[in-house]
Amino acid sequence: MTTSLITPADPAAPVSPGGRKGRPDSRGATAWRDALSIAGVWLLLIVATTIVRPDFLSSQTLLAVTFTMAISGILAVSQALIVISGGLLDLSLPVSLILSAWATVTALNNGLPTWVAIPIGIVTGAAWGLLNGLIVVFGKLNPIIVTLATGFGGLAIMLIFFKSAQIPSTSELRLYGLGRFLGLPNVFWPMVIVIVLAGLALTFTRWGRHLRAVGGNAQAAKARGIDLRRMRLATFAGAGAVAGLAGVMFSAVNPSFTPASGAGFQLIVIGAVILGGISLSGGKGNLLVLLLSVGFLATIPTSIAFFGLAPAWALVFQGALLIIAVGIDGYRLKRTAR
Amino acid sequence: MTHSILTSRPALGRRFARLGLVGLAAASLTLAGCSTVGDSTGGSTDAADDGTFTLGFAVGGQPDADWQELQGDVAAGLAEQRGWDFVELSNDNSEATATKNADIFIQKGVDLVMMFNGQPSANPVIAKKYADAGIPVITFDIAQEGWYFVGVDNAAAGTEGGTALGELAKEKWDCQVDLVIEAEGTAAGQINTWRTGNAADAIGEVCPDIPAENYVKYEADGNLTTSLANAPGVFAAHPDAKNILVVGLNDQAVVGALQAATQLGRDGSIMGWGQDGGLITGANVDPNLVGSVMYFLEGYPSFAFEIADEIAAGNPPAVKDTGDDAAVSVKPCPVTQEQAAAIPGIDERVAELADAPAGTTAYDLFCKS
Repeated sequence: MTTSLITPADPAAPVSPGGRKGRPDSRGATAWRDALSIAGVWLLLIVATTIVRPDFLSSQTLLAVTFTMAISGILAVSQALIVISGGLLDLSLPVSLILSAWATVTALNNGLPTWVAIPIGIVTGAAWGLLNGLIVVFGKLNPIIVTLATGFGGLAIMLIFFKSAQIPSTSELRLYGLGRFLGLPNVFWPMVIVIVLAGLALTFTRWGRHLRAVGGNAQAAKARGIDLRRMRLATFAGAGAVAGLAGVMFSAVNPSFTPASGAGFQLIVIGAVILGGISLSGGKGNLLVLLLSVGFLATIPTSIAFFGLAPAWALVFQGALLIIAVGIDGYRLKRTAR
Repeated sequence: MTHSILTSRPALGRRFARLGLVGLAAASLTLAGCSTVGDSTGGSTDAADDGTFTLGFAVGGQPDADWQELQGDVAAGLAEQRGWDFVELSNDNSEATATKNADIFIQKGVDLVMMFNGQPSANPVIAKKYADAGIPVITFDIAQEGWYFVGVDNAAAGTEGGTALGELAKEKWDCQVDLVIEAEGTAAGQINTWRTGNAADAIGEVCPDIPAENYVKYEADGNLTTSLANAPGVFAAHPDAKNILVVGLNDQAVVGALQAATQLGRDGSIMGWGQDGGLITGANVDPNLVGSVMYFLEGYPSFAFEIADEIAAGNPPAVKDTGDDAAVSVKPCPVTQEQAAAIPGIDERVAELADAPAGTTAYDLFCKS
């Protein structure tokens, strides 16, 4: 699979000794515009809900929103890395999530200590991502089709090997999942750390520049000596490891889960990525905007509850926003191509 | 008795590697298929027409439901007690397989079919085949016109669960209930209304002074993860509610709400009563899930054999084919967490049921409340 859409801000552009690119870059301005747009809409939602229900601005709302953000936020980072690298989408993320959670819980149920179980979960996610990467890179197949297929296959394998999994109720990981730090759910903080670290890495490291380069213009990146295969394999494995961390957190907050428990995250994660301005054509994306996007989407169901609307409205709003975001992405691409 | 379960060199190297990977991807797809398509035609199925009554039994074959396979085991044991021939197939949770199984049963000349079909869109076609062949059918939990319906009395399950929870609220809180949360699974349609709606109504019967605005619904979709994702907003929207009750479509939905309460620090005074008993036993029961309603799904065949015996005796009863007017309505068993702990596991229940005298049901054996 290759994505060869040429953007005006070629991520593979040479970097001067001072670290600045050789030609003007509009990416920063676009990111700011995206951030302000989402922050504005989010603020509008908060204000509207507060007018109807002044008690919306409470610590309970903060807890509800941050808890809802935790798992989907980490998964959104995983998906964002794939999208930015030009991999289009990873549709097997729900499997990666549950497979990692299952590996973690299995390790704990077999008496392994928490400090061993957590890396097992993360490595399981990385291995799953690597499997996808190997098939995509060496099979030269469309990642969407590959991950759709491995998603089905992975679900089937899990259904063969386990019907439901339960984390030991007294395990340290479970207690962590029930606890709070600085007044917010413990599981919220790994999401923040992952977004910050991945965002910094994307912006300030050679790896991040290469990732954008491969996603933005693969042929140009190759011409500049970037090993496309290695880069894509590393991206799939790395994104898998991030999904593995999401699986570990998932197992900490869900006392019992089944192989299909991750299905509900698919739409919300893809929605967060697209709404966050991460272009499906690859090469572009800002994880700070992604954080705002995840927060905004996590606020919608809570607002719906405050408005007293039927819960199905949350899906209606999220679906409509997704369509709008895809439309904006398409408009930008057309404008760029002119 | 017959019991059969039908159940340039571097370039060349790269090409092989690519083929291998394509094969791996194909294997993933195949595995996906294998998980739901089992062997339903293997083995000998010839039921010799020597006058022996032959029962065809199609288990649901849903991958995450042990009880479906165990229904087949219970039915096999009951058929053996009666000296009947027994042919078991799996619908593999597939419309196509269920339809093919109907052809096989007709071909084998069975005298009666019992089945659970979790993919009922094919049922009208299957019903036509059996009607043309003159074979009566007993269906579990999913109604089809012309088939004897055997299923749990969902309406009673909701009412009994809600009544038990209401009684606890009366005993502990003198009916001072600030919030009644209904963790719905709207896709389940009428079953959701019976289980969740009736439970809420029953709480209102026991505690009539709970204001209507204290009843709140949200979508839990019958699974813990969705419930846990959607419930926090409900708690946040009712920040002053202290004494909270939760009812829902099943245990997963209710436990999702209870876990959300724990996350938001609202679990100080909350009680949930589930349905189906899925999460009321084991080592990891939520302390606030005070009870559930058990159906003993694996024991359905013992109810169905009440009808089968009459058919085998040449006196088929009138067909009752709806949940409202069932041929046999399985009695639900509301249990507290403590009572549930005393009920044996599903394998032990199947073994006990197989050894019990004819006519004994799982409810008779295990519902001691």
